[in-house]
Amino acid sequence: MEFSFSQEQDMLRTSVAKLLERKYDFDTRQALVASDAPWSADVWNAFAELGLTMLPFSEEHGGLGGSIADLVAFAGTFGEHLVVEPYVASTLLAGGALAASGTPEALEWIEKLGSGEAVLAFAYEEGNGTASPEQISMQADVSGDCATLSGEKRLVIAGETADAFVVVARTADTSKLGFYLVEKGASGLTTNAYKTIDGRAAATVRFDTVSATTILEDAGEALDAVLTKAVIVQSAEALGAMKSLLNDTCEYAMTRKQFGQPIGMFQVVAHRLADMKIAYTKALSTLTYTTALANSGVASPRDIATLKGQIGKLGREIGEAAIQTHGGVGMTDELSVSHYHKRILAFDAALGSYQYHLRRVGQMA
Amino acid sequence: MNVDFSPELEAFRAEVAEFFATAPTPAIREAGRKTTSVFAPFDQCMEWHAILAQKGWAAPHWPVEHGGTGWSVEQRFIFAEEYRKADLPPLLPQSLGMVGPLLIDLGTDEQKAKYLPPILAGKDFWAQGYSEPGSGSDLASLQCRAEPDGDDYIINGSKIWTTYAHHANRMFMLVRTDNSGKKQQGITFLLLDRVDYPGMEIRPIVGLDGMPEQCEVFFDNVRVPQSGRVGEKNDGWSVAKHLLKHERGGSAASPTLVHYLDRAKEAATRTPSPFGGMLADDPVFQSEFGELHADVASLGHMEKLAISGHPIANDPAFPSLNKTINSELLQRASTLMSKVSGVGGLARQLEALRVGSNVEPQGSEFDLISMPLYLNSRAASIYAGSNEVQRDLISRSLAAGV
Repeated sequence: MEFSFSQEQDMLRTSVAKLLERKYDFDTRQALVASDAPWSADVWNAFAELGLTMLPFSEEHGGLGGSIADLVAFAGTFGEHLVVEPYVASTLLAGGALAASGTPEALEWIEKLGSGEAVLAFAYEEGNGTASPEQISMQADVSGDCATLSGEKRLVIAGETADAFVVVARTADTSKLGFYLVEKGASGLTTNAYKTIDGRAAATVRFDTVSATTILEDAGEALDAVLTKAVIVQSAEALGAMKSLLNDTCEYAMTRKQFGQPIGMFQVVAHRLADMKIAYTKALSTLTYTTALANSGVASPRDIATLKGQIGKLGREIGEAAIQTHGGVGMTDELSVSHYHKRILAFDAALGSYQYHLRRVGQMA
Repeated sequence: MNVDFSPELEAFRAEVAEFFATAPTPAIREAGRKTTSVFAPFDQCMEWHAILAQKGWAAPHWPVEHGGTGWSVEQRFIFAEEYRKADLPPLLPQSLGMVGPLLIDLGTDEQKAKYLPPILAGKDFWAQGYSEPGSGSDLASLQCRAEPDGDDYIINGSKIWTTYAHHANRMFMLVRTDNSGKKQQGITFLLLDRVDYPGMEIRPIVGLDGMPEQCEVFFDNVRVPQSGRVGEKNDGWSVAKHLLKHERGGSAASPTLVHYLDRAKEAATRTPSPFGGMLADDPVFQSEFGELHADVASLGHMEKLAISGHPIANDPAFPSLNKTINSELLQRASTLMSKVSGVGGLARQLEALRVGSNVEPQGSEFDLISMPLYLNSRAASIYAGSNEVQRDLISRSLAAGV
């Protein structure tokens, strides 16, 4: 048993942290979110230069063969800086689906993803949320390598600007889940773009008999693997946000004075800070242990549900406690506190809420 | 010991429902549906206030001689219930619920004659200038100074969390007029005729929901007449405490909560449960929904007791009990709503939320409001005295043996 990051992983984290300290202070981030740009092309290029966009792909696919632990090593810094670039959506989810496919077309896209030249969207969520792949209802009419897609996908990160979509849909005849590739601007595609409450570029995407290429017709196992990786990395991002909330709230409580003393000296506030630390410690432990399990290839569905459930639940507790402790200023757009909380809320809602996952744990335990 | 369900009351309910079905303009209805805060969209809210005032229904809780309706407890509750069912914007509390009742109790005849009619008519909107950057929970430490100068005061300092000050034409505030004694002494309660006195500056603050609901107000040698004082000089703390009774109690919040729960339930009938079937039929949802519904019912019972004059409302801790229960139920209800929306609530949709924008929302109208309501309601346990302070007050009443 070994739960420490390697020297290389620490170095990777340090270089990403340094990059974000240089390019991603909170005010710069807020200006980016307020602008029409979906994300910063400059930061995205810097990620590519650091090798992040190549990291998760295998060496045979021209990647760096990075492990899940490599990804977790730096993902926390994304949470601390509230990064809006579509790393999980494009590199891990869409990229992971392409890697599982391995068709020549998929490999071409992987090359473009790795170099930072292309961004792909992963069209997965439907309705008010898709807690498990079993709920996917979008249909694919498959005929050989081609398919026709009809239906609607929600919360498609990078949906408006992506160069192509990897769409998760169910075959009409066999009811199997597959990955389908649709290029930007395909006929019958309508995107309704928006920014999420946590500042990311997203879209509702309608597919009206859109022609697609089948890149993996039976993608059930591959989808589980891709979602597992995304859940772990987003949990690491959320933990980064939780860490920032804990630090900022403690600092505020020790400086803000009411009734002649720092509010952190009042027992009711001190105990809330203690509860935040307890929640953070649980979340850190579960993330670290689950990462080690996944890195050893033995993380079970129950382990992943435990992680997603705990991060969502504990994250909400920390976020709400942070706003309450900050009082009025915690309610403002100007301070980062509410933005961290909104990031935690958005991650919780996507890929199944904490209530769904914790109930699954109860069923599986 | 009885509850009146007489046929006359049903006739009254029908009369109220009929008025709510016909009197509001489409814009007022839209504002009601797009209300994601205690504070409804300002323009349509005031328009609706004026319509209600013409009908004589703007201030049911005021004494009849000042324009109240003289309704029974049952009638007042029926009015509140029909109001929420019709999804109309709630009238703003600062004028009708705070400074108005205060002036009725403590104002001079001149102040009553001058200020009550335009409050009732919906012509004036008063902002509440209490909190300061350094004085939130510890309100009595406030430092915004008013120095006497002839018949005037000269005000210097600032206020914060002044809800809708950018829409207000008048303002009531607490100022420091003496620094020599205990901090609660030396505070004076002032009415400002205008909010555009020379030296006064109002800056809106954008909230976490993206809305400019709160403001900062700066005073730089602002000259106002001393005739705006309510109560004695340096006795503003007891005036403010009197007003707080109106701010934290005496309202009927439970119909709003019931309405939110109805909307959540309705949305849940259209939302698939991840465990199959519809969310509304999911036993886990039903259990959470039932617990919340029963808690809201208890609040409703408490409010009815209080409005009827039951001794429960004479408990010195009653305003604190009411505020704490009410704010935490609002937070639980809006949390449930945002969970029903799931990823449907993640779009930031400020334009679609603006009344009259004609922007189609992403997803349903329920999804449009659930997340902003959740975010905005985080303030409920902070404003009007944080719930930590309320619990201190409640525990103090226990220590006093009440």
